[in-house]
Amino acid sequence: MLIRRSNLMVPITTPRFVSRAWRHNADAITLDLEDSVLDTRKTEARALVEEAIGQVGQGAAEVFVRVNKPVVHADIEASVWPGLQGIMLPGVETADEVAVAAELLTVMERQRGLVVGSLQLIILLESALGVWNIRSIITASPRVTQVGLDESDLACNLGISPLPEYDPYVYARGRLAIEATAAKVQPVGMLYPLGTQPRLLATAEIHTMANDARNLGMKGVICPHPSWVEPVNRAFTPTADLVAYNKRVRAVFAEAVASGTAAVPLDGRMIDVPVDEWAKVIIAMDEACARRDAEKQAALKRLR
Amino acid sequence: MATRRVRRSGLTMPVVTKRFVDNAWRRGCDYINLDLEDFVPQHLKAYARSLIKEAIPNVSQGGAEVYTRINHDYALADLEAIVWPGLSRVNYPKAEYGSEIRRLDEIITRLERERGMRPGTVEIGANIETAVGVANGYEIASASPRVQDFGGASGYDMSRDLGVEMFVGFDQFVYGKGELELIARTLGIEVRGAPFVANTTGSVSDGDHAFRQAEAARKCGFRLGGGLNPAVVEPQNRGFTPSEEDVRDAHWVLEQYRQLAGSGETWRQVNGRIIDRYEADRARDTLEWAELCAEHNHAKAEAVARVQVAMSQASA
Repeated sequence: MLIRRSNLMVPITTPRFVSRAWRHNADAITLDLEDSVLDTRKTEARALVEEAIGQVGQGAAEVFVRVNKPVVHADIEASVWPGLQGIMLPGVETADEVAVAAELLTVMERQRGLVVGSLQLIILLESALGVWNIRSIITASPRVTQVGLDESDLACNLGISPLPEYDPYVYARGRLAIEATAAKVQPVGMLYPLGTQPRLLATAEIHTMANDARNLGMKGVICPHPSWVEPVNRAFTPTADLVAYNKRVRAVFAEAVASGTAAVPLDGRMIDVPVDEWAKVIIAMDEACARRDAEKQAALKRLR
Repeated sequence: MATRRVRRSGLTMPVVTKRFVDNAWRRGCDYINLDLEDFVPQHLKAYARSLIKEAIPNVSQGGAEVYTRINHDYALADLEAIVWPGLSRVNYPKAEYGSEIRRLDEIITRLERERGMRPGTVEIGANIETAVGVANGYEIASASPRVQDFGGASGYDMSRDLGVEMFVGFDQFVYGKGELELIARTLGIEVRGAPFVANTTGSVSDGDHAFRQAEAARKCGFRLGGGLNPAVVEPQNRGFTPSEEDVRDAHWVLEQYRQLAGSGETWRQVNGRIIDRYEADRARDTLEWAELCAEHNHAKAEAVARVQVAMSQASA
């Protein structure tokens, strides 16, 4: 089970952000070559990637690089180094773009001595065309592990200035959740309007919104600011109460089956196979989160 | 579309629980869904199958139609055991591909022929409970003329597939439900749909909630209900049936519309309401549906009365 609850975006040309990124306890860190880097500094930015990968990865975060669509070749070439987990591909509109990036990764994996096929892709959809073509895009390569909407760019493409109180992405996000789940790819994203307006909010609000995003099918959040990481990790980790309840579900269901029925009431609800199956998922997810957290803690311990 | 069937309420029950099955005819529901799937423990699957043939006449005594929910993974063995006269529908869980439905159709067609049933009697309910099912919705719904209603994309299986909790106070399933409704309407078949009515307890026996859900569904153009607990049957029957006030209002709208005829106008405003062809169609639909519900209630009441007479004669 892939646990990538928080993925912290870090502008690669700001050294103090890069050097501190590992301290925020994100499951993944994405070094940005795209929107947070001035056009005049793209070449300089590329030269920083190799060293930055090691730096941001020291807390056991998975490391990704977000590349620029128009110069995807040069950016991928500059990014494939040991320690890299994969590439975040923005603005994808067709399956061909994914295929091209995937081939390029294969070439670079060979060149740099990495296991062929090991690097992953995170896809960002930023246009109506991308949202419409989602099925062919995310099934174009087995490297694709996550897909999300870039809501700011999507607003621009749709020609809208979204109002915080009316979510214009109900359809797009629903399609994302369904198609990604169907393709066994993780949908990622934040509850509207935080995706378009990444203001600094109180931790409690971020947590609530991340929790609602989880209940729309999202498996993690791409975090524009370190303050998001803790509440996002917490929202995507099953709570102790939830785990305890689901252990009770499993016990009650097992008893029912032993007595000859697979439908049994519990607190007014009906417990049957899918409820028991879901309980297994929650318990497994809790264990997987605990393992991921232990990995990160072990890495931090080594650093000290 | 043929005349609309009246299927406002229905109870899904494990066929292995004798007291549920024996009392089913008393519950007043429009259909009974005998379950072989998730309510039946794995070690009782074969036994469960063997009970269906006798259960069909038993649970339908009160005028309810009989469905059976089969297992996705043992569809063939289940079908052999359950397609008998009196069965009106096979519910197939976790439908994901059109080819699955075509295969069921072939088997059912053969069994109907072998067992002297009118060809095409048994419907297929293609239950959409996974993201793949939603993604392939059109090929599934159009795979067989036996699929006469379509919808779903919510519930425990769907929530597990998407990794979302049930009963969170907002609609996690709005996209999937919308997709399936469009598919059903495109194909001209009935929609198995439900508008979002907040339910944070998840109670299966909350009659008030069942009524509100059924009434909201009816007002959104949906007609199909069903549940797990006898306590929701009457509220669903009531919620899906036009109220006396709805019927009065429909008559009033039609009366106003009749007065429009010959006036040369296509619409008029009466007491702040628009009266036009669209409103008149809706009113006619309400009256037709109210009529069908009344006929069905009458037929069920007669069936129940017949059983009671037979029982009192047997005990006398």
